[in-house]
Amino acid sequence: MSDVKIAFLVQRLPYKSENPKLAATHAMSYQTVEILLEDGQTITPALCYVGEGVLNCLKDQKAMETYGITSTEMHLKNCLLVDMDVYACKEDLDKYGIGEDKVIDAEDMGADKKLQIVPFAKIQELMETSNHVMFF
Amino acid sequence: MKLGVFVSDYKLTVDTLDRLKAEKLGIILVSNGVYHASIKENGKASSLLDKSANFYALKEDLETRGINPSGIDSRVKAVSYGDVVDLVMNDYEKLAWL
Repeated sequence: MSDVKIAFLVQRLPYKSENPKLAATHAMSYQTVEILLEDGQTITPALCYVGEGVLNCLKDQKAMETYGITSTEMHLKNCLLVDMDVYACKEDLDKYGIGEDKVIDAEDMGADKKLQIVPFAKIQELMETSNHVMFF
Repeated sequence: MKLGVFVSDYKLTVDTLDRLKAEKLGIILVSNGVYHASIKENGKASSLLDKSANFYALKEDLETRGINPSGIDSRVKAVSYGDVVDLVMNDYEKLAWL
């Protein structure tokens, strides 16, 4: 019986590079990779947005309408829908003047989880308690 | 020289823009450059907007990132792809991409 904790840290702006979106898709892949694990083994991902990365968390992204691609917002909503922990750094949201009302939620899709706005100390703690930390 | 400069990054790692001189300067914010038009870091608008230039931001890139074009800095005009083509063809002789 073992649980492997993986923290995905996103520090880059969305869209210009595929890199920050890959954090969400990699984190989401824990759902499928579980079939390859031994009985009792689990993987617990946490997706954390810090620095400029918090701008990935703005709601009302119209990537599908403008470019015909799935938005980062939709990826994040899907993460919340499968009960993944998604965090955004409060200090960085404050720095960019982004209030809670401007941040993605997946209530419209019926998700119970909400994007959690937490101080950087909490993200630091997650990094320390995770088995692996991946930067995007 | 009438110079149009495309800015596609939020944090510029080059100072070329500060050195460029033009009788008419247009700064066209595209891709992640559109954050200059909307994000106030610690309550302060981007220093890029203090330059003496005409500023434009691509509407599609704003909307993709969840930014309402009607809420951007008043110094910046939100423009469509078609408008950018018109700027390139009619308003600026030289173009640079930073």
